[in-house]
Amino acid sequence: MTGVTKDFLQGDNVIRALKETNFTAYEGELVGIAGPSGSGKSTFLTILGGLQKPTTGRVLLNGKPFSELDIKEKSKIRLENIGFILQASNLIPFLTIKEQMLLHNKITKSKVNQPWMDELFLKLDVEKLKDKYPNKLSGGEKQRAAIAKALYHQPSVIFADEPTASLDTNRAYEVVKLLAKETKEQKKATIMVTHDERMLEFCDKVYVIVDGVLNEKLVDNLVVKS
Amino acid sequence: MFLAFKELKHSKTKFALIIAVVVLISYLVYFLTSLANGLASSYTNAVEQWNSDQIVLTVDANDNMMMSYMKQGDFDGVDTGGSKTKLGIFPAVINNPLAENILDSRVDVYFFGIDNNGFIKPSELKDLTLTGNQVIVDEELKKEGYEVGDFFGVTGSTLQYEIIGFSSKTTYQTAPVVFMSLDTWQTYRYGSTNTPDLFSGIVVKGEIENLPGNLISYSTEDYIATLPGYTAQVLTFSVMIVFLIIITAFVLGIFIYVLTIQKTSMFGVMKAQGISNGYIGASVIVQTFLLVAFGIFIGLVLTALTGAFLVDVIPFAINIMFYSVITVAFFLFALFGGLFSVSAVLKIDPLKAIGG
Repeated sequence: MTGVTKDFLQGDNVIRALKETNFTAYEGELVGIAGPSGSGKSTFLTILGGLQKPTTGRVLLNGKPFSELDIKEKSKIRLENIGFILQASNLIPFLTIKEQMLLHNKITKSKVNQPWMDELFLKLDVEKLKDKYPNKLSGGEKQRAAIAKALYHQPSVIFADEPTASLDTNRAYEVVKLLAKETKEQKKATIMVTHDERMLEFCDKVYVIVDGVLNEKLVDNLVVKS
Repeated sequence: MFLAFKELKHSKTKFALIIAVVVLISYLVYFLTSLANGLASSYTNAVEQWNSDQIVLTVDANDNMMMSYMKQGDFDGVDTGGSKTKLGIFPAVINNPLAENILDSRVDVYFFGIDNNGFIKPSELKDLTLTGNQVIVDEELKKEGYEVGDFFGVTGSTLQYEIIGFSSKTTYQTAPVVFMSLDTWQTYRYGSTNTPDLFSGIVVKGEIENLPGNLISYSTEDYIATLPGYTAQVLTFSVMIVFLIIITAFVLGIFIYVLTIQKTSMFGVMKAQGISNGYIGASVIVQTFLLVAFGIFIGLVLTALTGAFLVDVIPFAINIMFYSVITVAFFLFALFGGLFSVSAVLKIDPLKAIGG
């Protein structure tokens, strides 16, 4: 994104939630976005995801204009090119894990990619859970299933909003490690918003947003990781 | 519609309850319709059997055929390119002289005095000649134990009549009709001495070209509408049925709306993932459609079963055309209710789902 700002109206005052921001994520990169609540993290992520329009500036996806498109076209691009992992998990309660994936095929009228689905199930260790409904899974299992779902349609970008929010430390590490691994292997650009500092050590780059200003943070423990 | 089916399958109890409501309402509507239709038919069966175009009474009779008195001259004065026939009509109470308790055997009927060659004679019994006190009666009287060759008496008279045949679907104002020759009818109506040659009305097939000033003609439909209580009864039933259909639409609409609102955050997530309004809206409509279809189907089966059991006890008639119209109305109104939910889906902001 280049030169992106976002203003909100609060009463008669214009509040600039996001100051002029330039940001690029490359394939194979897990980018961490940290910051206190109210800092503009969610605004940043939703503009990247095309859920709201920037006040100024533009967002490009795979080098093509994205933020200027109309709502329908943006929906279509999200459906095909973006994977979402949300804190409350983005699983639909009345579909089994396997059906969650099939839904994407049904909507896009595409063929079921069975080998890839089986591979994902194995990689994320949800093979045994594939015929279960989300309410029968633990928090960690749900997030693993959500990651599998986000990867299934082979998007170029993955947005993860607090993917570890409901997990204990061990589970959280496990989930973020998996995310990092898949990002590398599948050559995705993954952008993870979190306020859990411990998770940032797995990221290739870390940005911090404070009061709407985004800054790259060079963290020592990145060295620890490599 | 993958999503719609899967949800129905997963939340069986919830949807079964909604279907149960649709079943009960549709059962009530179909049952009332059959009852209304049955009752209306038993009012008018005999008249409908005539397949006539016009019915002529005297102006003085004030729509009441029982109070219409006509002479041969009146009959001759009615010019028509089609055919015309005389009809005498009067209520009577008959009894079975062989019954243990004669009072218990009383039945209300209508005596129709007709011309042996007239077109209003039950067509399946054209070959039987009505002479003297020989009569054809409606098959409803079979339920009272009468058979061909049996005799019955009449309140207020010592005369007895012999049944020579049974006609079907010949009831008038819910009472069975007894067909007899016009002479026999006049004897019953006016007594056996100095019997006047009077009858009640003229039934006409075809257009009337000339009508004497003291007579008035009705189309057959208009005549039926003048039968006492008929219009009020049909109107009451119709209003009830229409309201029930509208209530169903509201109930279904509200149920679906509440379910949709419950799923706001889920729909928000789906929209964030790029699933279109069209897909989500269509799955809401498909669900509504399926709920109505299941409910109506079960309601129809129940109605048919009830009808099969009760057909001898109550006037119950299934009319495919009424059923089709009601079924279509159910679907249209319910889908209209479903559209409210679709508009709610359109308003869901995916931003909220993502925690913005």
